[in-house]
Amino acid sequence: MRFTRKTGAFVALIATTALVTSGCSAGGGEDGGDSPDALTIATWVDIPETLLEQFTEETGIAVEINSFADGASAQTVLRNGLGSSGAGLSDVHLVELDWWTEMMAVPEDWVTLPAVEDRWVDWKVSQGSVGDEIKGYGMDIGPLAIAYDSTLMQAAGLPADPAGFTEFIGGEDATWESFLDAGRQFTEASDAAWIDSTSTAFQAAVNQLPSAFEDPDSGDAMPLADNTDIEDLFTLFGQAAEDGVSAGVGIGHADWDAGFQARRWATVITPAWATGIIAENAAGLEGWQIAEIFPDGGGNWGGSFFAVPAAGDNTEAATELADFLTSPEAAVEMFLLNGQFPSQLDAMADPTVSETPNEFFGGQATGGIYAALAESAGDKAAGGYRGVNFAGIQTLVMDGIRRIETGNEDTSAAWKSTVSEFDALGLTD
Amino acid sequence: MTPLTPAPRRVGFSRKLSRWDIKVSPYLYISPFFLSFAVFGFFPIIFNIWVALHEWDRRLGQGEFVGLDNFAWVLNQPAFWTSLQNTFSIFVLALVPQLILSLLIAAILDQNLRTKTFWRMSILIPFVVMPVASAMIFSQVFGQFGLVTPLLHDLGWFTDVDSPFFHNRFLSHVAIATMIVFRWTGYNALIFLAAMQAVPRDLYEAATIDGAGRARQFFSVTIPSIRPTMIFVILTMTIGGLQVFDEARVFDGSGSGGTGQGGSDDQWLTTVLYLFNLGFGDWQDRMGQAAAVAWLFALVIIVFTLLNFFLTRAIADSGSKPTRASRAAAKQLAAQVRAGADAPAARAARAERSTLTEGSQR
Repeated sequence: MRFTRKTGAFVALIATTALVTSGCSAGGGEDGGDSPDALTIATWVDIPETLLEQFTEETGIAVEINSFADGASAQTVLRNGLGSSGAGLSDVHLVELDWWTEMMAVPEDWVTLPAVEDRWVDWKVSQGSVGDEIKGYGMDIGPLAIAYDSTLMQAAGLPADPAGFTEFIGGEDATWESFLDAGRQFTEASDAAWIDSTSTAFQAAVNQLPSAFEDPDSGDAMPLADNTDIEDLFTLFGQAAEDGVSAGVGIGHADWDAGFQARRWATVITPAWATGIIAENAAGLEGWQIAEIFPDGGGNWGGSFFAVPAAGDNTEAATELADFLTSPEAAVEMFLLNGQFPSQLDAMADPTVSETPNEFFGGQATGGIYAALAESAGDKAAGGYRGVNFAGIQTLVMDGIRRIETGNEDTSAAWKSTVSEFDALGLTD
Repeated sequence: MTPLTPAPRRVGFSRKLSRWDIKVSPYLYISPFFLSFAVFGFFPIIFNIWVALHEWDRRLGQGEFVGLDNFAWVLNQPAFWTSLQNTFSIFVLALVPQLILSLLIAAILDQNLRTKTFWRMSILIPFVVMPVASAMIFSQVFGQFGLVTPLLHDLGWFTDVDSPFFHNRFLSHVAIATMIVFRWTGYNALIFLAAMQAVPRDLYEAATIDGAGRARQFFSVTIPSIRPTMIFVILTMTIGGLQVFDEARVFDGSGSGGTGQGGSDDQWLTTVLYLFNLGFGDWQDRMGQAAAVAWLFALVIIVFTLLNFFLTRAIADSGSKPTRASRAAAKQLAAQVRAGADAPAARAARAERSTLTEGSQR
């Protein structure tokens, strides 16, 4: 009896000690061995199996994928990992342009990557750098295009072939205004909406501005109330939303894939990386095509980088992996798998990219179309200035457009409430 | 505990040790809870005050001391007040049906059913489903092409393109409340069932003899007898219900404002979701303000729980206020009287009456 009691006390003591110390000792890990057995990649896009196998063959290092449902969840994990000295981070992270600046707020968190000459378009390299240090290797860029449902166009008695459609939305000189006017014409002739969500189009238009929300010199947010560029765009898209050109269901919404299957909208703003997502959501449908022009001359939306968190145990091998994953050959494979348009010069020039017909989009050579669109976008292809608050303010303003779409507010009320929400944050005090 | 050994077998250190054993061991036995609470419960609560009083960067940690500025900032945010309203609205919409349904289910399961265990287990199935999974299923159900919306369209309601559940504030609350009801009703029903099982059966017998129907028995016997459990369940429901997070965060996929931020108009932004967005979820890097929200919300929960406690007691008491023990004793006594003495007395009275009438006839 006595013996048991003592043993019990002992066990209790051990258990408590273990419990308390385990809180402190977790996350120790090995101290930077030269060649790790395995590396992890955090990503929300598919990476071709063959590519990973090839890396394992060459280096003897296995690669594990930590897959996320979308960029936003990958972002949350990364954000919290950086805030807790690297807990839960993978060796290599895919980072999207939209939240790149936020992640780079503390550049020391990221390994400076060795320069690779002549691999990328210049602006992709400068986007991926903080000061002179390269922090991310570019994977893809997001030239903007419009995908449209030719079946719906035909049913509405409107031009359905790419050339006719291009003419319908304004031809070579298409603007957002002519695009939305075409939408009004379409919605009159059809039961479907013109576009899945006006806020998506609005976001694309914002991405075309050289400096949307923040002052490029100081990096500070500009008062939204005085931002006439944004207010004009807001009014333009807001009124279109009031006229019912939009179905109000944006990419990522629970209704988005069902909306495709029910043919609820005729057009979707489609950066190159979205082609794969659309093909997946609209699986089994025929008639989707890519238009050959983009309103206001085109631009860039998103595009991603592979970056290596400095807190990792195997940063050297991870850098090697990031390098490997962004080689032109890898970029071509990524394009074939997901439709992401390469940011690598050699891959862009590769006929596999420019000439491979895309079965979902009626056999169009989408790579070639995106290459032409990227080229015609000129300087806009690089996108405008983005400070740390860009993504957040953009979300706030897009929420304003959504309130118009859902009929909760009219355009002027939505603008007022958006401005007052912005002011309440106190960013410009 | 075992009695002390009457005579010391050995003197010295080992004896001392055994004295310590008796004194210290009990504390060691219970220490794991208190230690883990100190580490994972108490310390964070205290540390939270520290964070709330500072500027706090998600990445860089502690910044300047700002006093109560964070609290002032939060109180000036319209989103904070909206989130409080949403939280209460969802809470009320979830609590009332949950309470009624779980009481009813428990009452039914309390009857003599065939395959009792099967039914009792099966009502717990929704609770086993992960909250996020059920939220995802329900956001499909309430989606534009889900189960409910096309039905409403057929009835001629909400014929807009988008699903009304994602932009109408009240309807989004209804949808989220439905998820909560789905998940928690079975769980609460089991707690009620356990309490109902403990109600003495002779009370029901007595009531039956008195001619009370099932409904009357439910209201006059069952409900008063499980009053302490009801208070417990309502309080836990209040605390849990005010902390709605998973359901609200996953509600519309990631349609509005990036990922699960509570709708374009903050329609279903609950306070905990707001806290999460400030500190971890969205682009704002406001750990200090999030900590302030946590404190303010804790206050709100405490006040509301107390309010609820007194309200529940008052309603369940309704009128005279004998102590629980005396009431139970009185009930027991009444039951005995009715079951034992009363029934024969009535029979005797009836018999007497009948003899009287017989007599008069004669």
